[in-house]
Amino acid sequence: MTEVRRDIIIGLICLLVALLVPVVLGGRYIVTQATVFFVWAIVVVQWNLVLGIGGIFSLAQMALFATGAYATAMLGFYLKVPMLIAIPLGGLITVMASIVIGLACLRLRGPYVALLTLAIAQVMYVLIVNDTACFTNVSGCLPLFGGVRGIGQFGDLGLRALFPSKWYVAHYYVALALLAVALTFSIIVIRGPLGLAFKALRDSPGYALSRGISRFKYQLWIFGVSAFFTGIAGGFYAVHFRVVGPTVFSFSLLLSLIAMIVVGGMGSIWGPLLGAALLMLADEGMKEFSEYRNIGLGLLVTLFVIAWPRGLAGWFERLQTLK
Amino acid sequence: MAEPALMLNGVKAGYAGRIVLQSADLAVGKSELTAIIGPNGHGKSTLLKVISGIVRVSAGEISLAGTRIDGLRPDQIVEKGVIHVPQGDLLFSGLTIHENLLMGAYRTREARSIAERLERVFSLLPKLKDRRNQVAGTLSGGERRMCGIGRGLMAGGDLLMLDEPSLGLAPIVIDQIYEVIFDLRRAGLTILIVEENAQRIMDEADRIHLLDNGRFAWSGEGSELMARPEIIEAYLGA
Amino acid sequence: MDVIIQIIASGLTLGAMYAVATIGLSLVYGSLNMLNMAHGALLTLGGYICYATITHLGLHPALALIAAALVCAFAGLIIYVFATLPLLRAENFETNIFIATIGIGAIIENLMLKSFGPYPIPQPLGISGQVVIGNVHIPVQNILILVTALILMAAVAFLLQKTRAGRAIRATAMHREAGQLVGVRVGQVYAQVLALSGALAAVSGVMISSIATLTPVMGGDPMLKAFIVCVVAGLGNVYGAVVAAIALGVLEAATQYVFGVRWSFATLLLIVILVLIWRPYGLFGRQQVVRL
Repeated sequence: MTEVRRDIIIGLICLLVALLVPVVLGGRYIVTQATVFFVWAIVVVQWNLVLGIGGIFSLAQMALFATGAYATAMLGFYLKVPMLIAIPLGGLITVMASIVIGLACLRLRGPYVALLTLAIAQVMYVLIVNDTACFTNVSGCLPLFGGVRGIGQFGDLGLRALFPSKWYVAHYYVALALLAVALTFSIIVIRGPLGLAFKALRDSPGYALSRGISRFKYQLWIFGVSAFFTGIAGGFYAVHFRVVGPTVFSFSLLLSLIAMIVVGGMGSIWGPLLGAALLMLADEGMKEFSEYRNIGLGLLVTLFVIAWPRGLAGWFERLQTLK
Repeated sequence: MAEPALMLNGVKAGYAGRIVLQSADLAVGKSELTAIIGPNGHGKSTLLKVISGIVRVSAGEISLAGTRIDGLRPDQIVEKGVIHVPQGDLLFSGLTIHENLLMGAYRTREARSIAERLERVFSLLPKLKDRRNQVAGTLSGGERRMCGIGRGLMAGGDLLMLDEPSLGLAPIVIDQIYEVIFDLRRAGLTILIVEENAQRIMDEADRIHLLDNGRFAWSGEGSELMARPEIIEAYLGA
Repeated sequence: MDVIIQIIASGLTLGAMYAVATIGLSLVYGSLNMLNMAHGALLTLGGYICYATITHLGLHPALALIAAALVCAFAGLIIYVFATLPLLRAENFETNIFIATIGIGAIIENLMLKSFGPYPIPQPLGISGQVVIGNVHIPVQNILILVTALILMAAVAFLLQKTRAGRAIRATAMHREAGQLVGVRVGQVYAQVLALSGALAAVSGVMISSIATLTPVMGGDPMLKAFIVCVVAGLGNVYGAVVAAIALGVLEAATQYVFGVRWSFATLLLIVILVLIWRPYGLFGRQQVVRL
């Protein structure tokens, strides 16, 4: 019980600090950057569940994020669905997509999963980018998925109209709430029966199987449910930036998200969050060196995996045991 | 006893935090047949793995004819003439018998001595010659064991270590395998054999050591062991 | 008829290039269970080294190809020493090396981007001229690629089947500990495999860039296809991979003709997924029985 209590205390402190940020610091730039951080933090926290807890080598997380973003945007653009409904719907569509991907991939062994999910993401990207046929001509030619330029003008949460000068603060709190829910979910999974099942599968696969713990079933579960939050994050991303395009498939984005997980500590609760925060700060601090960004990220990922495979979370654990 | 071919002094070893060998002392005489018996899971296989360098020694010394070999890489230990025929054979299942035997002579580069050893292995284990082009993964249990021993002999070493050569075989096949082992011993090879089935080697072995819970609990000649039925009963349940 | 000749001709060239890209990947996976995500970057590196040594050092194209192979073999060795070796000693090798090589690939690709810029560069190594079969014009370049690939594959097959080093590579892949017990210095074998894989990646990078162009991201697509080939053949199965590569090359040429370039990759992927549902360990792969 103490572990859960510690998680709750850390979580509440983080939440309190985050609630105060717009009030105390308030600058538009900081608040907007923090909003983006929340979005990536949701993705990273859910990816960590899939990779670190479920042991699924999935590289489809950005494809799922894109599914949520595109579904939300297209529901708004083509069917005029209000965003408050479109975002959760997008999340559900992402879940369906993840189940299809999961059914195709999860019976395979680890590396096969990695390759297939990577290929699926790539196919989605190629199909979107190479699509040049006009699907509608309402306001200029637009391919079904928006092609290279992406889709815009699909509405928003209405917060821009409600708080004309402070809408970005409103978005901040929405993103914070989403992250809080996603994080709570991940804590429940890691500390709860699902986490226990995966621990059992890892420590003693034979016995776990004989007790009726099916790896496939649990992996599909964790993959599907984490896809829900990933898709919602995608939907919010689309609404926040008012446009969604194929850049969400970019390799450097994938790399920076992997770096966040690895630096923070794969499989731990707070590690990925910490990794995301640190890397976003590092990005801010080293803007002049942005041309070396990917080299730096590559070095970080390689260095951490080799020297500290359990990331910063591993450092903290070692510090605790020393005490 | 003649000068020992192999000496272990207070050897301690184990896997990831679990110590299996507590403190093992052992001397294997040159051209003798030494047997290690003992219940399952008490460090017999680990002992052989420590000697061949697969498992690292955490304390103690191992020396081969006076020179220390603990701390060397497995390939360097093979180079010094130690052959380890592992439990369950560990054949290269996708290679043919012939290729498996050639792999046994991996450290030897002279074609002539490889050909000579191949001839010798084939004359000792004629069945291998008939099946030389068969893929090892398709062999029967007895053939696999022969291939494993043959592969070991191809290295041309001076110390042959066999880990449970009778494991999982039919009695008649076990007899054949032991026939070969006794032949090798008569030819002057130093042999260290791990066997759970003590009766099988009691009357042939020069020395028998009983390994219990990571330590040697008793040592003596085969005839002495036969005179101590209580040991056999307590440790081996027979 | 002409269409069929055209499809077969371009399919064989594609397939031969994929095969060369795949062998190294498959060999590395088969030997060490290491999924080398930096393989695509090694391809790119090879292409650029060839270009740079021809244009800046004025090397003969054949020498440039060898230089590229040597540099990439060396890069493979560096990956072995600094990533594979330390990770082999720790837990979770398969996951960790996978992530580490993603990082290494990013480093190499972005170094290429810094040194040569983002814009496509033509690969100077090339031969003009065409061979005419029926009404179909086949560039001599394509034939040269096919022949080079065949020679290379024959050489690799000879190395693996007939030489002492090759036998050690195969044996160690089948059983690492047994390899150690017969005196194979396993680390040396792994280093050889990574170097060989790097050299093969370089050659395939030069081939691919000689009919397309050089860009820092050019390795990504062939690597993904090489992965698909590996997956279809069964990871680690080198000979299966060659067959699957050529089959996929022809298939890709055919789908490009029938459905257009846009759908060819999607069609390939669909076929792969169907194959894997039918045979989860690939066409030629065998299920590894895991003892619990």
